[in-house]
Amino acid sequence: RSRSKSKRVSGFDMAPPPQAVVPQFPTIPTPSQFPGTTIPAMF
Amino acid sequence: CSRLHNRPTTSPTIVLANMYQRPDMITPGVDAQGQPIDPEKMQEHFEDFYEDIYEELSKFGEVETLNVCDNLADHMIGNVYVQFREEEQAVAAHNALQGRFYSGRPIIVEYSPVTDFREATCR
Repeated sequence: RSRSKSKRVSGFDMAPPPQAVVPQFPTIPTPSQFPGTTIPAMF
Repeated sequence: CSRLHNRPTTSPTIVLANMYQRPDMITPGVDAQGQPIDPEKMQEHFEDFYEDIYEELSKFGEVETLNVCDNLADHMIGNVYVQFREEEQAVAAHNALQGRFYSGRPIIVEYSPVTDFREATCR
């Protein structure tokens, strides 16, 4: 493709708007909050 | 497919999980507001994405193969597979992309065992 046209701004390093940050980083439950106590081996 | 894929600790190929977001990902052919999307716009959107990825990844080494999944099925949706000529180039890209964002979404990067995309099928 021709390089002569002005380059769009790349989407890299485009951070989310502040209000969108919260749902993307939910609180990580502590082990006591997990429903199961053991995770079956997955082989 | 068992979905229990081999996840190597290093590889010449990295996968950027769920990175390509089709404009019509909610309903095929229409955008999030329910308006029909011109197929040419879809193609342009894809090519812009491809160009962004190729340009950024080329900073880390020679990109041998760049595959973008634009399927709408949930499996592998939006995954971007980048195979570098050298493994250390993939390592550099992997380490550099961790924690960064693309279009407001975090980049999720892992190594992929795929080295021959003609043979790469998920069964």
